[in-house]
Amino acid sequence: MKHIKTLNTRNLCESAKKGGCGECQTSCQSACKTSCGIANQQCENKKEKK
Amino acid sequence: MIHRYHLDDWFIVIDTCSGSVHAVDEIAYEIIGCYEQKSREEILPEMARRFGEDPAEIADCYDQITELKEQGSLFSPDVFEPLAGELKKKTAGVVKALCLHVAHTCNLNCAYCFASQGKYHGERAVMSFEVGKQALDFLVKHSGGRHNLEVDFFGGEPLMNFDVVKQLTAYARSIEKESGKHFRFTLTTNGMLIDDDVIDFANREMSNVVLSLDGRKEIHDRCRVDYVGNGSWDRIVPKFRKLVEARGGKNYYMRGTFTHSNPDFLEDIKTMLDLGFTELSMEPVVCAAGDPAALTEEDLPVVLKQYEDLARLMLARRKEGRPFTFYHYMLDLSGGPCIYKRISGCGSGTEYMAVTPWGDLYPCHQFVGEEKFRLGDVWSGVTNTAVQEEFAACNVYAREECRDCWARLYCSGGCAANAYHAAGSVRGVYRYGCELFRKRMECAIMLQAALQEENDEADVDK
Repeated sequence: MKHIKTLNTRNLCESAKKGGCGECQTSCQSACKTSCGIANQQCENKKEKK
Repeated sequence: MIHRYHLDDWFIVIDTCSGSVHAVDEIAYEIIGCYEQKSREEILPEMARRFGEDPAEIADCYDQITELKEQGSLFSPDVFEPLAGELKKKTAGVVKALCLHVAHTCNLNCAYCFASQGKYHGERAVMSFEVGKQALDFLVKHSGGRHNLEVDFFGGEPLMNFDVVKQLTAYARSIEKESGKHFRFTLTTNGMLIDDDVIDFANREMSNVVLSLDGRKEIHDRCRVDYVGNGSWDRIVPKFRKLVEARGGKNYYMRGTFTHSNPDFLEDIKTMLDLGFTELSMEPVVCAAGDPAALTEEDLPVVLKQYEDLARLMLARRKEGRPFTFYHYMLDLSGGPCIYKRISGCGSGTEYMAVTPWGDLYPCHQFVGEEKFRLGDVWSGVTNTAVQEEFAACNVYAREECRDCWARLYCSGGCAANAYHAAGSVRGVYRYGCELFRKRMECAIMLQAALQEENDEADVDK
């Protein structure tokens, strides 16, 4: 019996090896303007590859 | 570090540092909860007794957990601290986004306005084309290899200086080719001056439009009034509907503020939905503690429940084929930001700055008017390097309170302005905001789990 279902997520350790291009959107430049987070942002690199 | 939570039928375990998310059954949930404190020999009989389950099944579950740990997707250590600051170091001096305060004046007199009715505690003013042009030149000059540049026309009410907005947009477009840059514009407006010309312009030139509406008419009109004291709801809603309809699917957000008057803000979201809007954002008010609009401790459980009920509403509407977007629940678990971004903080004061009508630079729109945070101006660039360094040093690991927080790689340390106002330091935290943020992330991740389950079921059906 399967007790655990792992969701598809970006492996953060892997992203440490090849990341940090800085092309992503600035965190607060959108609909929040007050309660900024980064979780709902897109990676520009990944977006372009899609 | 892991975080476990139970929401409706979902038992969810987040492994903070790998970014892994597991939807588990109750047995796995409980075993994971004591996995690091107890031995296998202690856990197996205890769980078999508790769940009345076959010991072999419990052992199988335990071994699945061990396997995930060995794969690095449970109980993974935080190995990222040495990377903190790397991204900012690599991109030091690069500016990629400006918030242009084209109008420090407003045609509304909203009670809760953080910008004191657009004046930011200073004089009323509008930005000239020359100042705006210099700001755009400053941005291009300091943007390094960055291709996409973001510019938000902000205020006060930016449409009170619409001619300059149009001129600046045209100027930016005219230099895109020679500079090798692409401008993405956003317009944030209260809607009062929207007409066909604005709609046509916004839909042609603005990547995103942020429209201020607080939801229910009585809630909106309590705060968002003109200088005579009349509410603005009746005047702006038809304009917003027209603009959104004409937008033809391009990005927009209907953005509301909730305050002590409406901690039950889900009702406001429902009003927005009833009006036909589907791209929504509701933000907690930013104001000093003690302000009548400020959210109180008594409001907190109400607000947290709204977030849960909002997630339930989104699930229900998605199943009915009437989905809608809530800004903070847009979570792309597989395509989200890399770890460098996640630990670097919001970028205010370094890659993102606000420009006043006089061309002064501030770390972000929330700091405008706080003289000690003035960074410089669009002609000389950043001259107050001490303040800029303070912002450059803002990252997840610079905030002691974030070290034990499971959500730190989803929020990146939070808003420097909120921290400053709440804790007196841009390296502090705004605890109330943290509570709300964590709840939002729990809800957003639950929605992702539900979505992946729906997709899996759809695949099986095929």
